Amino acid sequence: MSADAGAAAGQVTPPAAQGGVIHDIGYRRYDAVRLGRGAILRALTWHSFRSAFGIGRGAKAKIFPALLFAIMCLPAAINAVALANNPSGGPIISYDSYVPSLRTVAMLIFVALEAPNLVSTDLRNHTLPLYFARPIRRIDYPLAKLSAFVLACLAMVEIPLLLLYIGNATQAHGAHQVWVQTLRLGPGLLFGAAWAVLLASIGLLLASATGKRVFAICAIGIPLFLSYVVAEVLMHVGSQAYGPVGVGQPSALASLAGLLSPFTLLGGVLRWLEAPPRPGAVPHFQQTIVGHYGALYGILFAAATIAAAGGLVLRYRRVGVG
Amino acid sequence: MIAQPTTAREPAGAPEPDAVIEARLLTKRYGLTVTALDDLTVSIRPGITGLIGANGAGKSTLIKILLGLLEPTGGDAFVLGRDCRRDGFAIRTLTGYMPEHDCLPPDVTATEFVSHLGRMSGLPAAAARERAADSLRHVGLYEERYRQIGTYSTGMKQRVKLAQALVGDPRLLLLDEPTNGLDPAGRTAMLQLIARIGAEFGISILVASHLLGEIEQVCDHLVAIDAGRLLRADSLSSVTQASAALLVEVDEGIDLLQAELATRGLRPVPFQRGLLVALAGDETYDAVRDSVADLGLPLSRMEQRRHRVEELFRTEPAAAAGSDSEPTGAGRVS
Repeated sequence: MSADAGAAAGQVTPPAAQGGVIHDIGYRRYDAVRLGRGAILRALTWHSFRSAFGIGRGAKAKIFPALLFAIMCLPAAINAVALANNPSGGPIISYDSYVPSLRTVAMLIFVALEAPNLVSTDLRNHTLPLYFARPIRRIDYPLAKLSAFVLACLAMVEIPLLLLYIGNATQAHGAHQVWVQTLRLGPGLLFGAAWAVLLASIGLLLASATGKRVFAICAIGIPLFLSYVVAEVLMHVGSQAYGPVGVGQPSALASLAGLLSPFTLLGGVLRWLEAPPRPGAVPHFQQTIVGHYGALYGILFAAATIAAAGGLVLRYRRVGVG
Repeated sequence: MIAQPTTAREPAGAPEPDAVIEARLLTKRYGLTVTALDDLTVSIRPGITGLIGANGAGKSTLIKILLGLLEPTGGDAFVLGRDCRRDGFAIRTLTGYMPEHDCLPPDVTATEFVSHLGRMSGLPAAAARERAADSLRHVGLYEERYRQIGTYSTGMKQRVKLAQALVGDPRLLLLDEPTNGLDPAGRTAMLQLIARIGAEFGISILVASHLLGEIEQVCDHLVAIDAGRLLRADSLSSVTQASAALLVEVDEGIDLLQAELATRGLRPVPFQRGLLVALAGDETYDAVRDSVADLGLPLSRMEQRRHRVEELFRTEPAAAAGSDSEPTGAGRVS
C-alpha cells in the first residue's frame, strides 16, 4: 500500500509547479453569463414537463402518455365527424364537462402514471442532494415540479377542448356561430384548468410520499379510483333510495357524496357555477348532484388544492439531503 | 496559487482573506444527544485538502454545512469568503458537490443528466450541453456519454458524479468519499483524476475520506477530524512523517532483533510476523540494517507502513485540536 502511495504521490506535483505545461485537453473556464434563480426554475419546469410525456426518458416512457392523449382527443374527433355528416344536428359534446367519464378515467391513469416520474424518481435515485447543492432554494423544487405537472395536465385536458372548438368552428355557419362557440370555449378552458390544478397537486403530493414508482402509482391510483366509485355509488343510492327531499331537490346524501372524490368534486364545482344550465348548451353526459351545497363544492375545491400544494412544499422543506 | 478566493467584497469581521474554507467553533447537534461537529475550528487554503476521519466523524455533516444545506447549531463557517448561514445561494453557485451515496437516475443518458444539472447550476442551454460534453470528456466518459447511466459500471457512475460536480465550472469541489465502492484500479484512476483537476484546472478541492492511504496520494494538506472535533490540520508531509512506521521481517531470531533494536533506542512492537518501529528518518533504516548485520539474521522484508487513520491520530496528543482557549490559528493549514 505504501509503495503504491509513494509512486502515485510522485506523479502528483504541487499545482504551482505545473503552471506552464500544455495539455492535450485543456480545462475551459465558464466566464459567460450565469442565469438567475428564475431561469433555473423555468428550466426545471420545462424539463419536468417534458418528462411527464416521456420526452427524454426513452421510447417506452412515451407510450402511455401518447395513448392517453389520443384517447382524450377521440371525442373531439367524433364530434367533428358527426357534425360533418349531420350539420343540422349541432355539437354533441360540451366544452364544460367534455366527456366526464372518459376524462376521469384518462386523467386518473395519466396522473397515477406520470406524477411518480416527476417526483418519486428523484427520491428513489437520491438525486435531490444534487439539486439542493445548486443555486436554487428548497421551495423552488416543489414549485417547479408543480407548475410542470399542472402544465402537463392542462395539455391533456385543454388541447382536446381546442380540437373540439376547431371542429365546431369549421362547421359553424357564419361569424356569429363561431363567436358563440368561442364564448362557450372560455368557461370550458377554465373548468379544464380547475381539473389540472387540483389533480396535479393531489397527484404530486401523493407521489412524493414514496420513492418506489409502483407504490407511488398505487398511492395515487387506488384512492382516486376508489373514492370516485364510492362517490358515484352514494350519489345513486342517495338519489334513488331516499328520493328527493323537496320538489326538484335531491337528498343530502346524494348532494354531498360528490365531495368524496376529486373528480365528482370538479363536476360539482361545474354544476354549482353554471347553474341554472344555460339555454341551448349541450347537455352533460353525467353530472355531480350538488343540491343546495354548491358553494361547499367550491370551498372544498379551493381548500383541497391549497392543502395539496402546500403539503408538497412542506414535504420538500423536510426532505433529507443525505 | 491558482484558485484565489475572492473575499475582498465581504464586510469586515468575516473570513480570512486567503482561506477557501474556514470554520470557527462550528458545532452541529442533532437533537440533544448526537453531536456531529463539536467546536470545529479550521482554515483551509487553496489546493487539494484531504478531510480524513472515521465513518461518523462528521465529514459529511461539515460538507453539508459548507453548502448551506444544514444549519449549524453554533459557530460560523465561510466558503470562498462567504458566510454559509447567509450566502448559501452564492456558495452553491461557486461550488461543485459530489455526494457519497448513489445519486444517479438509471434511465437517462450521462450527457442528458449532466447537461440538465448544468442548467440547474445556472448555465444557458447551449453552454450546459457544451460543458456537459467537456466534463464527461475530462472524466474519461466521452465515448460512452450517450449510454444510459444504468448500464454503467460503478467506476463510471462515480465519474458521472464527478462530472456533474464539474459542469458548473466551480471554484471549489467538495467530494464526499469519491472512491467509495471502487476496485483498486478504479480508485487509482479516480485519485489521478482528482489530482489532475486540482493541479491543472485550478479548482480547489476538499476530499473527504476515511482512508488515509488513498487520500495522501493526492492532497497537499490534511485535516483530520474525529467525533466532530479537529484532531490535526497540517501539510501532508508533516502528517505523514509523524505517522510512518517501518515493518521489519526476519526469517528467524525475531526476539534477538527486538532486543537489539531496543538497545539502539528504538521501540519495536511485534506486528504480524515482524517488528514495527517508528520511522524517524534515515537513521532508523541505518539502525535496522546494522542490527540485522550484527546479529547475522536473514532479513526477508522491510516495508514502510502507516497506521490506520484512527490509530494514527489518536496516538498524537490532540495538541492541534481547537480548544476554546485558543481559537485563533488553531488547526491552521499552512
